[in-house]
Amino acid sequence: MTELVLGGLINGLAVGSIYALIALGFALLYKSTKILNLAHGELVLFGGYLAIALAGVVPFPLAVLLTLLAAAAMGFLIERVIMRPLFGQPLLSVIIVTLALGYIVRGLIVGLWGGDTRQFPPVLPAGVVSIAGITIQRVGVYSAATALILLVGFWLFFRYSLVGIGMRAAANEQLTASTLGVSLRRVFAYAWAFAAIAAAVGGILLGLWLGVNFALGFVGLKALAAVILGGLDSIPGAIVGGLAIGVIESVAGGYIDAHIIYGFKDITAFVVILIVLMIKPYGLFGTEHIERL
Amino acid sequence: MSIRPAGDFKTTYAADMALLDTRFYRAGFLAVLLALALAPLWLRNYLYLLNIIGIFAIGACGLTLLTGFTGQISLGHAAFMAIGAYSSAVLTARLSTAVPTIHVFGVVFPGLGLWFPLAMPMAGAISFVFGALVGLPSLRIKGLYLAIATLAFQFLTEYAIIHAFGGVGAINVPAPQIGPWELAGETQFYYLLLVIWVAAGIFTANLARSRIGLAFMAIRDRDYAAQVLGINLLYFKTLAFGIAAFYAGVAGSLWAHYTRLITPEHFNVGTSIDFVAMVVIGGLTSVWGPHLGSAFVRLLSDGLRIVAPMLITVVPAFAKIATPLREIIFGVVLIALLIWEPGGLAMLLRKLKRRFDLWPFNY
Repeated sequence: MTELVLGGLINGLAVGSIYALIALGFALLYKSTKILNLAHGELVLFGGYLAIALAGVVPFPLAVLLTLLAAAAMGFLIERVIMRPLFGQPLLSVIIVTLALGYIVRGLIVGLWGGDTRQFPPVLPAGVVSIAGITIQRVGVYSAATALILLVGFWLFFRYSLVGIGMRAAANEQLTASTLGVSLRRVFAYAWAFAAIAAAVGGILLGLWLGVNFALGFVGLKALAAVILGGLDSIPGAIVGGLAIGVIESVAGGYIDAHIIYGFKDITAFVVILIVLMIKPYGLFGTEHIERL
Repeated sequence: MSIRPAGDFKTTYAADMALLDTRFYRAGFLAVLLALALAPLWLRNYLYLLNIIGIFAIGACGLTLLTGFTGQISLGHAAFMAIGAYSSAVLTARLSTAVPTIHVFGVVFPGLGLWFPLAMPMAGAISFVFGALVGLPSLRIKGLYLAIATLAFQFLTEYAIIHAFGGVGAINVPAPQIGPWELAGETQFYYLLLVIWVAAGIFTANLARSRIGLAFMAIRDRDYAAQVLGINLLYFKTLAFGIAAFYAGVAGSLWAHYTRLITPEHFNVGTSIDFVAMVVIGGLTSVWGPHLGSAFVRLLSDGLRIVAPMLITVVPAFAKIATPLREIIFGVVLIALLIWEPGGLAMLLRKLKRRFDLWPFNY
């Protein structure tokens, strides 16, 4: 029993670190633009497929670099072409436009790569490592480390850099920030680029671990559970939420799956979403929004 | 509201409130009805397109009321359609050799063998109850959070149905039966559908201009302000969800008896997003929106399915891009509409009519 829980815990943390990375993209974008990008799962897949396609041509580190650059360019492009004309539009338009973006990216993926499972050529030492007698996939360790690095990086960025502070100001109150000389356009453009980069990193790690598959756009929605749990506009929240969802899914979900009702594991994340929304809609670390008339 | 010709003054409230307020609209509506009534003659083998469009238009009517008029975003509309479809399947199932029995949670369901005219409203009512339940949290969570909650509901429903009915396999549904008649063929089903479709459309339009519709719009514009004006938020929000789910349930029931073979795959999150796309493309705040949107979306995806084989014989390379092309066109159209014409196809048509009315002048 302890073995099961401990194993579930460690593997859950490993899976959770990928959720956390993907959730980071949601939170980054929401934090500064108040847009929930429902196409994020597709952007993750796009990053994964692109990196795998590039890794077949150029060495792996270069492929990663090129993918990140392409992701940033894509983020800028999305902001410029789609999001800027919709500035100030009602929430519904923005949600639907991200869904539409998801359609386009999915179409591109299937059109370019066919949508079947792809994996990286073996570039990193594969296999398992064992921590305290529990074996986990080595990639899990990498993704956990990457998540940690990105977390610290983004934390420093938002804390100290001028652009980061501007982004926080814009998140707090767009109009006020704008009157104080923060360029909202630039903030939004950076936010989209960062979100796309975070998505691509998630996609690459996913590709290293499980291989990217067309059906994995679903993972993006599970990461949604992570941001809801952590609070939509909180970056530490996204990381904590991601790890928590990973652990809940593999321990509680795994237990229920094995003993009570089959297939529950895949649905755990959505149960968590509903419970969190009922009890604490702004999540663990999210900013509570008080509505005034 | 509509743009009226000069000198067309209304002298009674009834005339002012009329759904079709000018001769042009009355004539146009009759022409559309006539064209639809004679559709089997001019569509022939493609009548199935109209059947699918009609079923989805009914479902989309509900979503228009919920999203367009009440302002509550739902990404789980297909879940209600699934509930309606499976309820209807269970209600109409009967113990016969032709239709295998349905297992619900492993228990053989005896099958009520209800007639379709009874089963369809009951399926709608069951959906209504689920819709009202899902609507309850809308008091506490709003906007984005509500959209995510409905998305979670969509996945949970899919999961529950897969488990209740023993896997992702299809279950058989009998053809709609009214008394001793069985409406098996495409044409017979079409006329049954047409009656329900027109009724649903008119009911939507009437509801939108009634007290309930006005309350919905007040809630959409600002729910707390509406509450101050004496609109019971609990009642109207759950009602909006219930009504939307009722439409979806009826659409699901029709879909089940039309295809006569349903799987949870028919009602997945993609279908939910299709519904949202329909109401946005058609026009969110127009009672014509769901019909136009459904026609557009279904024609795009099913039309591409018809055109694709022809194109492949001409351009073989087309085979590879046929499926992704649908998705990309879909996304591009949605984005283009949202950027340039948020009023959707309904607004485009209205502007077109205005252009003709004023021709050759600009205003």
